[in-house]
Amino acid sequence: MILKLNHLNAKATAATQAVIEAVYSMVANGHLDKGQFARLQFELDWIQYKQNFREVVTATRGFSAYGAEAPLMDIHVDTRQVDPANLQVELARALATSDRVFIEDFKSLRQSVVWEFNKFYWGHLLAWEHATGKGYDQALPGGSSDGHNPQAIADDVEEFLDLLMDLRDKNQLPPEVNLLEIGVGSGSRCAQWLDQFHAADAKRGTGFYPLIRFYMGDYSNDTLDKARPAVAKHIDQCRFIAMDAMNPIKALPQLRHKILQVHLTNVYDNLPDEEVVRRDGKLYFVQVRAYVPQAEAQRLSHKYGIALPEFKGRVLRMIAEGFDSFGGTDQGVPFWQELWAAIRLEERLVRLEDLTEYPFPEGLDAGKLEDILSGAPADFRFHLSSGALESFIRTLPLLHPRGYLQIFDIFVTDLAQYRTGFFGPGKLDGSLLNWVNGALLKEVAQREGYDVHFRPFQYRKDTKTSILYTTRRE
Amino acid sequence: MNLPILPTAIVGSYAMPPWLERLKGEYFARRISGRDLDEIYDTAVKAAIKDQEIAGIDIITDGEVRRDNMVDYFVERFPGVQIDRSSKKFYYDFYDTSIRNKLPMASLGLVQDFTFLRNFTERAVKYCVTGPHCLTKRINNQFYPNDEALAMDIARLMNLELKALAKAGAQFIQIDEPYYSGFPEDLAWGVNVINTLVEGVDAKIAVHICYGNRYGKPSWEGSYRYLFPAILKANVHQLTLEFARRGGEDLDLFKEFDAPFDLGLGVIDVKNEEIESPELVATHIRKALEVTPAERISILTDCGCFHLPRDIAFAKMKAMVEGTKIVRKELGKG
Repeated sequence: MILKLNHLNAKATAATQAVIEAVYSMVANGHLDKGQFARLQFELDWIQYKQNFREVVTATRGFSAYGAEAPLMDIHVDTRQVDPANLQVELARALATSDRVFIEDFKSLRQSVVWEFNKFYWGHLLAWEHATGKGYDQALPGGSSDGHNPQAIADDVEEFLDLLMDLRDKNQLPPEVNLLEIGVGSGSRCAQWLDQFHAADAKRGTGFYPLIRFYMGDYSNDTLDKARPAVAKHIDQCRFIAMDAMNPIKALPQLRHKILQVHLTNVYDNLPDEEVVRRDGKLYFVQVRAYVPQAEAQRLSHKYGIALPEFKGRVLRMIAEGFDSFGGTDQGVPFWQELWAAIRLEERLVRLEDLTEYPFPEGLDAGKLEDILSGAPADFRFHLSSGALESFIRTLPLLHPRGYLQIFDIFVTDLAQYRTGFFGPGKLDGSLLNWVNGALLKEVAQREGYDVHFRPFQYRKDTKTSILYTTRRE
Repeated sequence: MNLPILPTAIVGSYAMPPWLERLKGEYFARRISGRDLDEIYDTAVKAAIKDQEIAGIDIITDGEVRRDNMVDYFVERFPGVQIDRSSKKFYYDFYDTSIRNKLPMASLGLVQDFTFLRNFTERAVKYCVTGPHCLTKRINNQFYPNDEALAMDIARLMNLELKALAKAGAQFIQIDEPYYSGFPEDLAWGVNVINTLVEGVDAKIAVHICYGNRYGKPSWEGSYRYLFPAILKANVHQLTLEFARRGGEDLDLFKEFDAPFDLGLGVIDVKNEEIESPELVATHIRKALEVTPAERISILTDCGCFHLPRDIAFAKMKAMVEGTKIVRKELGKG
């Protein structure tokens, strides 16, 4: 057995002894055979997100690409939540997997119904906020979006003005100065940025403001309509674009090579993702299936008048159609919130036999992945950050030769970091988030002609946000 | 050269197959020999020639598939240039290079590339070289007093090679100089460098100036106005510019100035995988015909197809050929 301690603190240390005792006990009782024991990997994590998709103890089995079970198993223990006295019970429950109401079959995390919940949340955000009495921003660590930090915006504006002045000095200033923010939400960052730019431009006497074309992108016109009042003062400078964050170039083909700055805050961490495990020199794809623990499903069914056999159907119907089947939001929203809190993901590892045939996200292929992994840990689990990667790859063509991409988000900047902790998926209110595999983005970007750099978000103490920005490779 | 009116060509490079990058990696890892690699390159060149022929291109290049990029292939051959072999991460990356002494004169061995190309097609051919200005900008100059002095010596060295190419039968040579668009102020001395490079070379000479094509993306933006009137003094027969991606506004410069050279008209955007329709190509050509007579126009891609997938590059070449045929027919010369 391999025991991996991904996080060191007193509680994790105490749990380690309990883990060893529990495993020996299970072998002695015949709940684990010696073959399994030899390939067993025990990981003790500290789960950052109190709301997540894992039980206190989870067991992940390995399978061949053709469905046969492989002698491989990972067991994860959340040392933040575990009670060492209950470990054996939790372990037995994790291995049994029988007391669950599944709401889908095994599939890629990217295809999982949890992303439908995520979409549902953004579509019904007001209902959620009304029920909790808190705005989305208040759920964020720090109580507000880092994108709205006034000093961060002020610094950015000054740097951007320097760029424009340099372009003008070189007689390369374009007739229209295009910027794009993807995921504008309420529009308040755009408004702050434009206020700041207007003032700084006037102070410097540079006269760039009339050239500004600020493209505000979000997933629907309804959302953009809500952002419109925030930028009322600057409306002539603003353009509103309904877009899929994963395909910006599709929404703005006329701006290929014409945008000087693209900004995103906390968008990539909320895009569909999938994970890969590297074990013993082999790659395994993580498949998931969403479930609700039987006891919770029974409780929710009873409370909301749903027959248990109809539980899955009612859940899927709510996601597809809204709250009508609950007679409206009064009943529907509380069910949704309790359901979301109860949803877990069961996992299995499926061997990637033929990497060249795997449908990698755009920007990645078997050869590139092998290159990227050549310097990575031999035994680890990592995000492909599929949605983020596709968004990234489909944003770069928009950049002007002097343009840059600026992303405020939570990044894993070195693949070795994956050896030291858990980086999602977690839950944030009704949404889903993952850390973004910045190390992978960096490698992929180089082949696209860009260097990716990370710098700490210096404007808020103890923040986990960092800033990714691109520069052109020559 | 017996060519139709509005002859078609690619600017130089053809699609670089990803497997070629991998095979070069195998060569560096010593899993295949240098001899095998040469044979792989030969095969790739033959395929590039064949694709151009099948697409109906009139003037054929070797696709430049032997070159990692447009700089290293030449700088590696310059005697006395120091190369940091560890500086290259990917096939397309430039080496970090430096020069610490006067550049000696020597053969660069490009004639055999030309001869190979000549031997594998019956059609007219064009051989492309990267120009001294571009190469100067990629070399860390630790000897010459300024860029102009280094560029002039590179021009002298390459002039010998161009003469050797002409002697070997090269009738059409293209000089690629994309960096002028990033350093327009250099053109003040750059025209003298071009003239030194081509002095006494008995071949048709084209100069290609674009806005860069690193990783399939432009490196600069602006207007070709910076070229005029200085470029009018260049002793070249054709000036090849990109118009498909940037639009045809700068074509008016050919109306405004009495250019002594022909126009190489870029009608295919190589920085976008969307395939142009033949009608769009024809529209670009018609616009150029408003400023220059058909007899003085060649039809080209905006730049090299290096970063395009092969199937896209091939489809774009076919669209270019078909679009050109539409206009030839309109001119009664189809």
